Amino acid sequence: MKGLVMGNEAIALGALKAGLGFFAAYPITPASEIMHFLAAHEREIAFVHAEDEIASIHMAIGASLAGRKAMTSTSGPGMSLKQEGIGLGHMLEVPLVVVNVMRVGPSTGMPTLPSQGDVLQAAHGSHGDYRPIVLYPGSVVECYRYTIEAFNAAEESLSPVVLLSDGFLSHLSETVDLDAVEVPLKARTLAPLGQGRRHFTGLLAKEGIPKTKDTAYYREWYAHVKEKMRRTAQNYRFSDLHRHPKSDTLLIAYGITSRVILPLRKEYSIFRPVTLFPVLEEELRAAAEGHNRVVVIEMNDGQYRGEVQRVLRREVLGVSILGGEIQLAEVRERLYDL
Amino acid sequence: MTYKDYIKWDRLPTTWCAGCAIGMIFKNLAFVWEKMNLPREELVVVSGIGCSGRAAGYYDVDSVHVTHGRAIPVAEGIKRANERLKVVVFSGDGDLVGIGGNHFIHSSRRDVDITVICINNGIYGMTGGQMAPTTATGQKTLTSPHGTAFAPLNIQALATANPRHFYARASVYQLNQFQSIVREAMAWPGFAFIEVIAFCIENVGRRLGFKNGHEMLFKIKQDYKMNLKPEGLLQPNELGVVKHDNPAR
Repeated sequence: MKGLVMGNEAIALGALKAGLGFFAAYPITPASEIMHFLAAHEREIAFVHAEDEIASIHMAIGASLAGRKAMTSTSGPGMSLKQEGIGLGHMLEVPLVVVNVMRVGPSTGMPTLPSQGDVLQAAHGSHGDYRPIVLYPGSVVECYRYTIEAFNAAEESLSPVVLLSDGFLSHLSETVDLDAVEVPLKARTLAPLGQGRRHFTGLLAKEGIPKTKDTAYYREWYAHVKEKMRRTAQNYRFSDLHRHPKSDTLLIAYGITSRVILPLRKEYSIFRPVTLFPVLEEELRAAAEGHNRVVVIEMNDGQYRGEVQRVLRREVLGVSILGGEIQLAEVRERLYDL
Repeated sequence: MTYKDYIKWDRLPTTWCAGCAIGMIFKNLAFVWEKMNLPREELVVVSGIGCSGRAAGYYDVDSVHVTHGRAIPVAEGIKRANERLKVVVFSGDGDLVGIGGNHFIHSSRRDVDITVICINNGIYGMTGGQMAPTTATGQKTLTSPHGTAFAPLNIQALATANPRHFYARASVYQLNQFQSIVREAMAWPGFAFIEVIAFCIENVGRRLGFKNGHEMLFKIKQDYKMNLKPEGLLQPNELGVVKHDNPAR
């Protein structure tokens, strides 16, 4: 497809390209257009406008178990509700894509101004330990590409993969050529329900038999899951680095923020992670090398900055653009003031 | 296939207490599948959380044990993804009409072709005996120490709210009727809801003065009567089927 495409439409088109077979969601601005575009395809895919966010992710889990590539989409308030299903998906090891188009929170917050406030939630929102893969594109064409990659990562890791966007990016319309995007598609990996005698459970279980009091088994199981996620994530390390020969400052930004600060390339080095989790530690360390200052610019109160600081083990500065509005002039001014 | 082929015998003993009602319903459901000669590959059982929720893991078919209250949406997703599968939800009242009540209302409205078996013991048994949405008015529980102030949820009214519906009330005492109802429900092309009147001896019965499960079972025998051809809805003490297949009423 060539032409003017909106971020949310690109996500829907990417999902269809990836082989989406089931979609369930609940309306919420600024994510609803994903639903609208996919509703138009309800004769080709199974589509449910569900009664709530919890139902929609659980339906997607059921459909994925039954053999279809499945997705659900939402924004912050809905993402909070979906955490239950995300945890279940990790425990059952079900491939699934969950899209969160971020807006300003907490709670109903500022409907529906853009934000990046759900970055840590994407990694740690559900209870217990799990290691999700989280991708965050930075343009309309990337919304398309990384939705496909999210489906691939879900199949390969047998886990719910979170695709982040924001109200700004999702409502951004750009002229794109989606046909030029080439991403090899992963086939289904999980044998569908109807094989006869498998048991999937949200309990800790070994071959379908609950092991709810077995500490040693939990440790063995968790080590296996952690290693599986680490191994899979190796194939989904997406980022780019612009090195400015004269800059001793490295700016780090992602999603819409990286887009807004694009003109700062003339003055600064810029590292842009697309894969937010697992954190791209090697890439971050390589990018930071040769720079005295590292500054993370994000539309939240330093969520990714904390991760960067942990990886680099040195002080990392931050520019937090809060409250749903981002202007290049403000970013520039705040950088000078640092 | 005999009923034995639908059960994971190596998983026994179950988690259920001595004198529990669930085991009888569990086994009788397998009897129905035997009579239907249902291939294992065409059947999926989904359970939520609670004592009844453990049933999925004891059936020797593909089964899913999900989060609390979410058995119905997972079942709907499975059915919509693969129409060939017979999807049976086996879970409790707290799971299906308490925390999962919204899904019950809306999956029945969408009339998705699944069969829901709701074991109604009127209590949260697994967590120790707290008031359920189905607990009788005035009954003392851990969370209603002075007696429940509320009327129990009218499951029948919700299940029959849509023009097209299938609601049945069975009991753990009248098991032949339970079997015939399940067969009818599984053949029903749409959302079929079966409320099975059961009991919990360990976490409510003893506090009410029952000595054992047997006494509770016979209380059900005394309290409930079959109504094979109800005119309209069932009375609160009646067992039977209420169904309507014509959307234009």
